[in-house]
Formats: sequence, structure tokens, C-alpha cells
Amino acid sequence: MNSKRILIFGLIFLMMTTTHVVASDLLSGIVKAQGLRKPDNILVYLTKTPDQITPPQEAFVLDQNNLTFLPHTLVIPMGSTVAFPNNDKVDHNVFSLSRTKKFNFGSYKPGVSHNVIFDKPGIVELRCDLHSEMISYILVMKNSYFALTDKKGNFSIDVKGLAQGKYTLKTWHEKLTNSKLALELPAAVSQKAIINLKRGAPGVLYK
Amino acid sequence: MRKTVFFATFVNFILIVAAFQLIMPITSWSSQKKNTSVIRGVVASQYGMVSDARVRIAGSKDFTLTDINGRYTLETPLFSSRAIKITAGKDGWFNNSVNALPGNQNANVMLFPIPEKDNPNYRFISPAVCARCHNTLAKYWDKSKMAHTTSNVKVINMFNGTDATGRELSGPGYKIDNPDKDGNCVSCHAPSAAVTKGGAKDIEQALWSPKTEWDGISCDYCHKIRKVTKTSDTPSLFKSHLRRQTPLTGNSILVFGPYDDVVNTVMSASFSPAFDKGSYCAACHSQIKKSDSKEPWNRKQVYTDEEWQGFDIGDDSVIPVQTTYQEWRSWQSNLPADDSNKGKRCQDCHMSWRKEMLPYDNYVIEGHARDMWGTKRDPQNIRPHHFDGGTEIQLKTALSMEIEGQINDNILDVNVFITNTNGGHWIPTGDPMRNVMLILSATDSHGKTLKKIKGEELPTWTGVGKIEEGNYAGLPGKMFSKVLKDKKGNINVPFWKATEVAADTRIRPKTTVKLKYQFKIENPDDEPAAEAKLIYRPFMKSLAKVKKWENNDILITQSAW
Repeated sequence: MNSKRILIFGLIFLMMTTTHVVASDLLSGIVKAQGLRKPDNILVYLTKTPDQITPPQEAFVLDQNNLTFLPHTLVIPMGSTVAFPNNDKVDHNVFSLSRTKKFNFGSYKPGVSHNVIFDKPGIVELRCDLHSEMISYILVMKNSYFALTDKKGNFSIDVKGLAQGKYTLKTWHEKLTNSKLALELPAAVSQKAIINLKRGAPGVLYK
Repeated sequence: MRKTVFFATFVNFILIVAAFQLIMPITSWSSQKKNTSVIRGVVASQYGMVSDARVRIAGSKDFTLTDINGRYTLETPLFSSRAIKITAGKDGWFNNSVNALPGNQNANVMLFPIPEKDNPNYRFISPAVCARCHNTLAKYWDKSKMAHTTSNVKVINMFNGTDATGRELSGPGYKIDNPDKDGNCVSCHAPSAAVTKGGAKDIEQALWSPKTEWDGISCDYCHKIRKVTKTSDTPSLFKSHLRRQTPLTGNSILVFGPYDDVVNTVMSASFSPAFDKGSYCAACHSQIKKSDSKEPWNRKQVYTDEEWQGFDIGDDSVIPVQTTYQEWRSWQSNLPADDSNKGKRCQDCHMSWRKEMLPYDNYVIEGHARDMWGTKRDPQNIRPHHFDGGTEIQLKTALSMEIEGQINDNILDVNVFITNTNGGHWIPTGDPMRNVMLILSATDSHGKTLKKIKGEELPTWTGVGKIEEGNYAGLPGKMFSKVLKDKKGNINVPFWKATEVAADTRIRPKTTVKLKYQFKIENPDDEPAAEAKLIYRPFMKSLAKVKKWENNDILITQSAW
């Protein structure tokens, strides 16, 4: 009987002293961007979160069609593999000279695809050597606590499992200045974050 | 007796050839793919069989070369409801064709040689004529920098020493310093007028001459170039060899181009491999100045031996004014054979498809001409004529920049990485008036500018005065440019006054320049920030001021930390 009591008290004590985690839910908000036609494709992400350890299983694709990279901005967790199929009618030469990940496939024909693993966080600027208009960004994140805004600027990040505490919500877009917003979980889950951005020099993802 | 032996030998020869002709089809059929047929024939001329002629089904990507006896074999579909157009072409010959059904073993093509001599009395055809059939190509060409080079105000101002309003003796002018000379502007800015007998000698004459068929580098001029060779007689060290003739048969005009399968009655096309080579552009995208004194200048202070040898423009007394072609060639020749950039030519980037041209049009001609002579092509075999270069869209994707910072006690270290990502030549290239500037600023959390401790600054000639008016002298940053100097020590002089290159800090292809800066942080608890801008300026500020040229700075990219 005594041992049962000790166990129950012990469990209660453990529950009281262990860091609480956010039980569920989405951290949501809206981004308003001055000087953009549509506030979409803006990255919103949390920092001061634990880094992800296991590489994601999800297959990511950055397509080439009609002289365009699709999507224009691809956000992936660190360790992800991205396929670069050429689904156009002309050759393309995808390359990156960004310090986050350097690679160059050379010219390759329609129907051919190449893969790259992105193992370091940061911004990767993609170009096509043959078509100077083609530009795209791969944003390699330290974990999965990120989202891209929709056409109306809405975003929601699944923060389930994150420990209670203080975090920073940051943004990135190639034509906008970065912003950062301090918030506390889980309180922030019940509020809708409003972020105002303006055109200017984009910053780095992680300082 | 001798006659009998001769006759017997001749008969034997005929029999051997006939047997060979009989055996060949059988052996070829045996290696042929299912559901395909072959067409065979010879390519011949009045001088005999033509070897190494390119033979293909019109519009197809693949071709075959004729053997030493002019013979060819082409694989075709097994059946075809109509005759297939088989074309043949070779450098120095007019393209020609024959229509044949699958299985035809005697589809012979006759080639005729192009005229041996050029005709300097030839009057070039206006691009308006070309636009009747090549409407889209002409439309993009007309919007390009190629189209209006003769009336380029800046060229005229630099030639006669005027400003944008036409006021004389405003800043430098070639004619002011060389009143008895015509210069060589016309050879590239009005080339058809320059080479026409009785045409223009200088750029002003070219602008008003009735023999200038169009303002700029016209379709007919470029497509009259048969080949480009090295020479020591021109400022570019390259010479375009023209063939201006109306062919003897019919009223069509001789036109050179990259296609060996263009055969029609209005245009006597001739395949020229020059059109797919980087050297095709060399006659204008290269300019050197030979020193009168032959005295060497301080070349080694500006260029490494490898860079200088890569230019291949002469000894150390030669001044490299514009070396776009040499920069590309040198970059290419130093690439290992397995490098993914090996083989890239000027045409690949400056004549590539653009989004605004989509959907892909598989023809190079339109309207009724398409119905009559149109050849369907793979989009990869069509080169749009926009000639983008130095435009905002190209600049924005030619260079990229990254920035990183680190706080160490009361010091902010900022590193800026600038990469020539898409340029197959140094950036900026072409005229030395062009430059690219990095402008860096570091501020504390209240926006107050931090004092620079280490790192380069922008020179005085970027402009002294208000920053918002484009004056950046003394700001942390870096200038990427070629600086010409005269014998009195003046810098940024026009090429005709230059006696040396004072500096050449332009960014080499696919290379990254790392720049280090340090700023002092006054409050050790503060969170400072840094911002870098990369700006293209097509001409120096002082020159723009005296010439009354509008300041056309282009923000290439910007980045913050």
C-alpha cells in the first residue's frame, strides 16, 4: 500500500516538475507585405527550437517546365533529398553556387532528373545557366517548424510537441526585409500573429 | 589488243560497282530497325562527289555526313503518305534538297558552290524585308541592343564630344582629340554602312547616309558573314568575312546561317558553322589599343600571366579595352573536359528562349511563308534573337551575393561573398565605363551607423555628395571595374587616351569574391545589423554629369544580416 502511495505521489511530483509540452495545435497568423502583389510564398518559421535529427522521408521535387522552376520557393528540413526533373522542351542547366550547397548538373535534356541531398541549413539560390530568367530558392531549415504563406498571407505551423517556453517567429522572402516576433508557447497558439513586412534586403535564415 | 584490255577493265569496274551497290542495301537492311526504312543517295556537285556534307530529313535534329564518295544513308519511317524532304548542306555551298519516298535508293542532291568573291557594291536589305517572313525574330531583334546601335546617343556623344542635348565640347570626344581621324565606331555600330562601297566612314555619316539601310546591326549584315578569322589588322583582332552576292540562279539572296536544311526559292541559304561558334561574336566584342611607343605598361600589376596569356592579344604594350570574347574563350579553354560548363557559347545564353516568348513556337517563320516553306523544328534548334546583355534581367541573375556576420566582443565582423553565377565572361564586361559597386552598411539596433575599422571603401569617382543622389564615395564597399589611365595619371579616361589599365577588379566567371569588413560596436549588449547592396552603373558618375546622361543605376541584389 505504501509503495502504491509512493508511486502515485512520485508520478504527481514528476508531472509537476517536468517541462510541459504543447499538447496540440497550430500556431497561425497572417503576413501583410507592402510592395508585393500577393503575400504568398513567404516563409514563416520558429527559431530557438530543437534541431531535427532524423532526415525526413518525404520526397521533394523542384520541377523545370516552361522556363520556370516550380515551386519558386521550396522549404525543406535539413537532410532532405530533392529531385530536379527536366519536364521542359529544352535543355536546362540547374546549378547553385550558394555556400549552403554547391552543385552543377551541367546541361541536361528533357526527361532527365538529378537528385541532391541538402545537409546544411541556409539559403540555396538556384539558377539555370542557359536561361537567366530562371531563379528559385531552396530554404533548408533546421527542423519542421515552418510554413509558407498562402495567397492571402495566412500561415499555420504545427507546434505540437514543442516544449513550453519562449521562441522567435521569423520570416524570409527574397524581396522583403526579414522580421522577428518574440512569442511564448502555448499562449501564442490561441492568438493570431499579425506580421507586417516591407520591401528591402532579405536577411539570412539563421544568424 | 590494248583496246580490248581497256574495255575488259572498264566492264569489270562497272560490275564491281554494281555488285557493291547491290550488296550495300542488303547489309544495311539487315541492321535496320523494325518499322523503319532507309533512303540512300549521293551528294554531288559539278566538281564531283561531295564528302562530309550534312544530310538530314528537313527539321530533324540528327544528321549524317556523306562519306568520301558522297554517299549517305538516312533512316526514315517505313511508310510516308508524301515525299520526305532530304536536305544537304556544307560550308561553302548553297543548301539543297530532294524529295523522296521511304526506300528510295537514289535520292541524290546536287550542291552548288557559293560565289568565291565578295561584292562591295551590294546594297544590304532592310530588316523590314526580313520581317515579312521572320516577324517574331525581327520583333525581338528590333527591341534588342543590336538594332539601334547607330543612333545610340552615348556613342555619338563620345564620338563628337557633345552632350545629350547636342551641346558641343561637353566632356570627352574622339573627334576633339583626333580631328583628322574617323575612328572605328562604324565597324560595329553601323557595320553595313561601313563595308558598303561609298558608305559611311564615321558614325555621324552613318547616321545620315542613304546607304545605311537601317539603324543598327541588321539581319542582312550578320547573315552575310561567312566566317570570322583572326587578324592583326583590326582593333578587335578579328575580321568578319562577308559574301555579298545575289546567286546567279533566280532572284533569291545568299544568306548564311546555322541551318543546313533551309531550302526555298526566296532565300538561297548556305550553312555556315561560324554561327554556332563563340568567335562569331569576336569581331565586335573585342577591342584592343596598340601603343604607339610599343613601351610595355605595368601589365603584371593588373593581370596574372595566366590571364594575360588567356587573352592572347599581344605583348605587354597592348591595352585591352574590351575583352569580352577573350574572357569567355580563356574561361572555356581553362575548364577541364568533364566540367559541366565546357562547350557553352555566347549564343547559348544571349540567344536563348525567354518566358515571354512561350509557348514554344517550333518555326522561325510565320504567315504564308510558314505554309510554303516552314520547317518544324525542335525548340532547342531555334535561337531567339533578343541578344540580352547588360539588361536588368540578365544583371539580376548574373551576380549573386551572400552576407554573414559575427559579433566578437565590441567588434562586428562582416563577410560578403559576391559570385559571378551566370556570366561566361568577367562582370561587368564590355566598355570600361561600366562598373558594379558593393555598398555595405552596418548599424546598431537604433539605426545608427557603425564605424568601419577594416575593409575597403568606394573610391571618389563613385560620386561625392548625398547618398540618396547616388554618391557613394568613402562608404564601405568595393568597386568592380576596369580602370583606364592616361600618361598624365588621370583615371577613367576614354580608350583613345588610355596608355595603361590601372586596375581590373571585375569578377571572373563562376568565381566568388570574399570581402572582409570590421565595424566597432559601441554598446556591447546591442544587436547590430549589416546590409549589402550590389549596384550596376553603366557609366561613371562624372561622365554622366558632363554628358547629361540620365543615371541608370540598377540594383542587382541586396542582402542583410
